[in-house]
This record gives sequence, C-alpha cells and structure tokens, in this order.
Amino acid sequence: MKNPAIVLLIAAAGFIPRAAAQGQAPSPSLAGVVRLNKAPISNEVLKVKLPRPVERRLANGIKLLVVESHRVPSISLSIRIPTGDLRNPPDLPGISDATAALIRLGSKTNNSRQIAEKLAELGASLSFGSGLDNGTISLSAMTENFDAALALMADILLNPSFPQDEFDKWKTRQKAQLEQLKSNPNFLASEQMYKVLYPGDARQQIRITAAALDKMTRDDVVNHYRKYYVPSGQWAGIAGDITPAQAVAKLEKALSGWKGGPVAPISMPMPGPIAEKKVYLIPRPGSVQTVLTIANLAISRNSPDYIACQVMNRVLGAGPSSRLFRNIREEKGYTYGIGSGFAATRVTNFFNAATSVRTEVTAPALTELLKEFHDIGDRAVPAGELDDAKSAIVASFVLGLESSSSVLGRWMEQREYGFPEDYWDTYSQRVMAVTAVEVQRVAKKYVPANNAQIIAVGDAQKISELLGKFGPVEEVTPDSN
Amino acid sequence: MTRLLFLSLAVLALASGQESKIAPIRFTDTTLDNGLRVIIAEDHYAPVYAVVVSYKVGSRDERQGRTGFAHLFEHMMFKGSENVGPGEHFYTIFTRGGSMNGTTNNDRTLYYEILPKNQVDLGLFLEADRMHSLRVTQENLDNQRQAVKEERRLGVDNQAYGQTFEKMDELLYDNFAYHHSVIGSMADLDAASVADVQDFFKTYYAPNNAVLSLVGDLDSKETLAKVKKYFGAIPRQEAPKPVDLTEPAKDAERRAKIDDKLARVARLDIAYRIPEATSADNRALSVGASILGGGESSRLYQKLVKDKELASSIQSYTDGRAGPSSFHIVAMVRPGKDPAEVEGLISEEIAKFLSTPVTAEELGKARTGIRRSMLFPRESALSTAISLADNAALYNDPNRVNTEPEKRLAVSAEDIQNSARKYLRNANRVVLVTNPAATAVRPPAAKP
Repeated sequence: MKNPAIVLLIAAAGFIPRAAAQGQAPSPSLAGVVRLNKAPISNEVLKVKLPRPVERRLANGIKLLVVESHRVPSISLSIRIPTGDLRNPPDLPGISDATAALIRLGSKTNNSRQIAEKLAELGASLSFGSGLDNGTISLSAMTENFDAALALMADILLNPSFPQDEFDKWKTRQKAQLEQLKSNPNFLASEQMYKVLYPGDARQQIRITAAALDKMTRDDVVNHYRKYYVPSGQWAGIAGDITPAQAVAKLEKALSGWKGGPVAPISMPMPGPIAEKKVYLIPRPGSVQTVLTIANLAISRNSPDYIACQVMNRVLGAGPSSRLFRNIREEKGYTYGIGSGFAATRVTNFFNAATSVRTEVTAPALTELLKEFHDIGDRAVPAGELDDAKSAIVASFVLGLESSSSVLGRWMEQREYGFPEDYWDTYSQRVMAVTAVEVQRVAKKYVPANNAQIIAVGDAQKISELLGKFGPVEEVTPDSN
Repeated sequence: MTRLLFLSLAVLALASGQESKIAPIRFTDTTLDNGLRVIIAEDHYAPVYAVVVSYKVGSRDERQGRTGFAHLFEHMMFKGSENVGPGEHFYTIFTRGGSMNGTTNNDRTLYYEILPKNQVDLGLFLEADRMHSLRVTQENLDNQRQAVKEERRLGVDNQAYGQTFEKMDELLYDNFAYHHSVIGSMADLDAASVADVQDFFKTYYAPNNAVLSLVGDLDSKETLAKVKKYFGAIPRQEAPKPVDLTEPAKDAERRAKIDDKLARVARLDIAYRIPEATSADNRALSVGASILGGGESSRLYQKLVKDKELASSIQSYTDGRAGPSSFHIVAMVRPGKDPAEVEGLISEEIAKFLSTPVTAEELGKARTGIRRSMLFPRESALSTAISLADNAALYNDPNRVNTEPEKRLAVSAEDIQNSARKYLRNANRVVLVTNPAATAVRPPAAKP
C-alpha cells in the first residue's frame, strides 16, 4: 500500500543554493574530501509531510497514537510507564531494572518457562525497559498472533507474581553480567562521564551495583511495580497492520483492568557547563587503544537553540560528512570512527564526542579534535558547507518514511515534549533558516573547546603524562562495586 | 503460500487469527552484455530507493601474506575514481539526505546507498564510476590502512573475546580460504601495496563479477535504461579463477585455550563443521540450532542458565557460508564455575538431541520464527535489495529470497535428527575456552 505521505517536489533554487557550493575550490574545512562535482545531483529536495497519527484516549487514561501501515503483516506496540532509573532510592540503584526484568519471569497463571514458551510459539517479542525518566513496554508480533501476544502481555503486566527463586537467580546472572560490563571500555567511559557531569544527583549512577543487588528485596520490586507500572496520563503508540478502531478495541479489551496514576513527571536540575577543563583517566591494563569521551553540559530538548545545535553538529560531528570524521579518520587515519552529538532530553543536557584511537596517537587525536572544537566557534562556517549540512538534515527526512515505527517515534516525541501540532511540518523550514552566525554562536556556547571534560580509558602508563597538556589529570579507578 | 504441515497444539490454542499472507518479492533479472547482473524490484511504499552492488570477492579470495586485503580494498572504493574525488562519494550521499556503507565478509563485498527517489542518477553514477575506474594513491592507501588497523584494534585487539573469533576459524578450517579472519593481520595489512590494489581491482571488480540490485519507488524499465547508460560501457574482464574451498577431512576433536587479558569472565565456545548454506543439512541444522539454543525457551538456556545456573547466557546458531559452514554454541560461564562442567552439560544436551527427535511444539516455535524472519527482507527497500543481491552473488539465485523460507518451513524433526547425527559429533568439533587473564576469578579448568 502506498504510504499516505504527501510528496511535493520543491525546486531548490534559492531553497538550497547548490550553485554556491558547486565549482568552489575545496575550502580548508572540507578536509578529507576532494570534490570534482561531476556526479549528477538533482537540485530538488523531496519535501515530505510526515503522515499524521490518529489519537485516541483509552478508558484507563492512556493517550494512544496509531500509525497504520500494511507494508508487512506485523504490529508493534509501545506503552510508556513512569518507571526509570531516576525513580530509584539513592541506596538502591537498579531497582527499576530489577522490576523490568522480573516482571517477565512469572505471572499468577504462567511461570517464567511458560512465558518464554508462549512468546516463542507466538513469535512475539516482549520487553520491559527502564530508561532514565521513563520506561517502555514493547510488544511486536505478526498480525495473526497479535491478539494472543497482547493477552499474554496483559497477564504479565497485570498479574505479576515476582517469584523469589527467579529473583535470586536473576541476581546471580546480573552479577556475572556486571563483571562482563566492566571489561567494556566504552561502558567505563560512559559511566565516568555521567559521574563527572551530574555529581550531585541520581544521574551519576547509570548502572546497578553488586551492593544494591545484595540489598534489594522482593518487596522493593513489588513496591516499585505498584507505584510506577501505571497507565494514567501516559502515552502509548501502535504502528503497523492495524486500524485505529481495531487498536482501541484490542487495547480496551486487554488492558481494561489496568488502572492507576497519574504519576508526577520527574524534574531534574539542568546545570550549566563545567567551567574548568579536566581529564579523567581510567586505567585499563592491556589496552591497545585509548577510548576517549569529550563532554560538557549543554542544552535540554526544550532549548530554543536545539535546531541550531543540530545544524551545527551536522557540520562538526554527525556522520561521515562531518569535520571530525573527515579530519581525524579520513585525513589523519587516527581512528575507525568518530562522532559527536547532543543528549538533549527532559533529564539530560550534555554534548559529547567519542572515539577510540591507538594508544600512540592519543595526544595528536585530542589536539585535532579540540582544534575542530575551537574552529567551529571561532570562524563562520562557509556557505557551501552550511548548505550541505542543512540539506543533509532536510533531505534525509524522507528516509524515515519507510518505517511506521520511526514515523510513530517522531510523533511520540512531539506529544511527549508538548511541541506544537505542526512541529514536523515546519521542522525543515526552521532547519533551513539557521544562519552561519547562529551556528557560530551555539558552537561557542556549547562546544567545550576550552572547558573539555575528557574521559580516557586505556594504558595509563603510556598516556598519563601526555594527557596533562589537556588539563589537570585525575586517575579514577572504576567502581569495583 | 505453504501451510504449515505440523502445527503444534499449543500454537493452535494460542494463535487466534488466520495466517497472514506474505507476498513473494517480485523482481526483474537482466544480464547486460558486459556480464553485469541487474535485479530491479519496484516498491512504491515510500519515495526512496536503495542501490546495492555485491562483488563476488571476499576474504576467501585472499592469498597468503595478504589477509585483510578484500576489506582494506573496500575502504579504497571510497577514495576516488575518475570522476569522483576522494571522500566525495560519502560526502555527497550524506549531504543529499542519503545513507551508505560497505561491508566485507568471507564470501563477498557489498556496497549500498539509500537515497530519495529523485537521486537515482546520483547513486548509479557513483557506483558505475568506481566499477569503471579507481584512482589509487600511496597516500590514500596508507591513510585507509591506518583506519582499518584501528578497526581491527576496536573490534579485536582492544575487546574482551576479540581473539576468540579468530582462533575459532583457525581451528575449524585448514583451507587458507576460511582459516584466516576477514579483518586480517596487522603485518599483512602493512604489506599491502598500491600494485596489490590495482591487481585486485582488475581481477575482481569487473561487471561480470558483480550483481547490481535496485529496489524502491522506481520504474523498472526506466531504471534498467539508466543502468545501461551508466554501466553498459564498463568492459568485462577475464573471470577470476574460482577459489577452492574444499576442507580436508578431520577425524579428531580440536581443543584450545586462550588467556584473554581483557576478559573478566570465562567463555566456552563449541563448534561443529557443517556443509555449505545451500545444503539440506545446513538448513535442517539451522532450524535445529534455534531449538537447541535460540532464546529463553530453548533447551540450553533452560538447562544451563535457569536450572543449573552455570552460565549467565548461552546461544546456539549456524554460520552459513557459500562454502563449508559451522554450528556454534557459545556460553558465558558464571564466575566461580568450571567451564568443564558447562561443557559436560552441553554434551548431555547434544546427546539427547541426537537420540530423540525434537517435539512438534519445538518445531512449531521454530517455524513461527521462520515466518517472522520472512518479514525482514520486506521491511525496507534496502533490506530487500541486499537480500536479492546477496542471493544472486553468492548462490546464483535471487529468488532464494522467496524459496529458502519455504524450504525451511518444510524441515521435519527427522531431517534435524538425521543431520545432527551426521555432523554434531565430537570428532567433528572444536572446543575453545577463553579464560579471563586479567582477574583471577577461578583457576583454569583442567582439560585433557
């Protein structure tokens, strides 16, 4: 079936001034690329209107969005719940994860094995996930098995038994997996980054600890479930081979007994950037690479600078066409991959860049990276490069139409942040309106050229001293807990 | 649509609806005068299209002293051709709203772009220009050599269990073709020269050694005309000599241990040699692997993770290749537990697998999984294009995208038992223990 998106071809003369970029000698900012400009490029940008979801309200207070698509006979459902790591008591990190894991391991009528068997028989995927400030129940199945999968999900959600023996076994598995996690250098860097950026609150602890595993009881899990696994006031979305009327009927039937809420949303302080540069070194014996994360606090999702930041980051570090990739991989050969981005949500507000480089080039790679951080704040982005960055964002919009789940995801984002109804209709215009002056302003403000918080995981003996030129170095032993 | 032959009672009880129809993927299949095979499928769901080129060359074609070369070469394909400057390919694709990548495995090298539908000429031009001509310089080669060496460090040398994958292939295969890894050794990557790149290009990157597939919001006729315009003049080359993948027979189990400085938990790998992906035995064993160790309801998970708590995770799966393939069981051993004990329990489960046919319920679960996996190549223009190109390049049969799932659905309990008896034997297996060398979690297991 044809996607109901309205497709308009807009002549790009003036919209995206390709002519300005064509035929120019490569500017220094296009390091790593030589443009011969002989490839036939269409000067039109396909402008698409994101198909709108149908919105319905269920009797238990759930606000439901439906994106109908019959491309393949399958249906995906996501339901937000107000759980999340930030709901955990300070002495019990991971109780939200424990609840999400344990709920799947037994209901009043199905034990864990029966649940696993039935999901496999139905070919259904069911997960309960805990993020920072919310959680998501995700169910997907082929159309023919969706009703049965939904009934099973409802049984698990409404009648969990939280068996003590399953809880004990889960703790044992978690401890083994924690050990595995500690050998992952990217995880070690990420864990340290949160500690550096949010030292004063629950965001500093992004994983469960062995001590918390020993301490937590079944009652803690049951209490968390009772408080936070509630429907009222939450958003849910369903995408795929289903009509809005069918979706409402099926969910009303399956979830009519699910009541409770609303729960007040979490509000976190959004601190401003850390002023002084600093280096955190995590020794990892045997490392042949240094895993680098360079971060600082920046913007949350509601910031008026959000779109300018997206354009700026497209120039700086998003994808292979960006400066960081072209310079540090394509020109210097220091890394296999590098990128930067904003973690701009309701409860996080940071910018970071990340890469892994061989130990010997740790210092030159950092020097180049910081040079790019300085450059984008010090000099206006050349017109051609800025136009390319904007067209990359605008023209790529059409790729997202292939997946009904990604269309649904955009509308869930719009609803959850309370953005205007026409947010996605006007998004491209707002991207195109960003100027070089704005890009430079947000780069200066949010890209940490002079106050980088650098986290390095690697061979401490080889890199400790040379890291000193990037800021005072503090050696950190990873949390053994 | 084939109906399931044996539907388990449990499935009957649960599945309330009629089986959904999964329409076959329809395509045109044309070979140009220069030998380029062109497959086009119209999919008007969204205003996008995908272009894929799959070259019939992988790490199996590498010679001694040049391991990793096919993959290094893939990187060189982005460093410029007659009419496209170094890096211009990916810069242009991404700034026009598209996405792209390249990927190399043992058997083939594949490139793809996905773009808005008004950029068909762009995608075809970029792929044709680099099939026609490649500009290689010492500087570009040195630069990508560094990037690839970083890729090796990232995926192998700086990761726990990175060495395990390489060691496993060395133990499974004696024929050099599959004995070495796709990423290759640092020494061989250092040895690669500009002349090697030029020779490799001439030998393998010819239209008669490639498959082009296009899927999306396209008109088949118009698109084929464009393909002829851009690719038609690229000269055919002498067909490369097919590589001999034959494995010498093996008559004894192989065992090895690795001390991994970066690992903190022991890992046990058991692998059996099985025939190529297109064989009936491979198909039966793939279905068997999902029953033995696919997911939380599988035999191995229930026994080793849930009942005995000896492993924190366990899976079994098959690695299907154009040539000799393998059946794997991978367990993460719970700290403080003995890998030998884990191995003993796995052996017991294998013995049961050989002695008793799988149940109708188990087969029903596997078949539901097969039906669901049929949706993946239909979920995007790119996944359709990759499936078509790979099936044509590797197996000379693009329609395998439609026929293979049907054959899998027809696998019986008896087929699985027969194939398992032939191949899941101790003398045909490799047992590899990766011990954590950084932390003394437990003393190494005593092994014969």
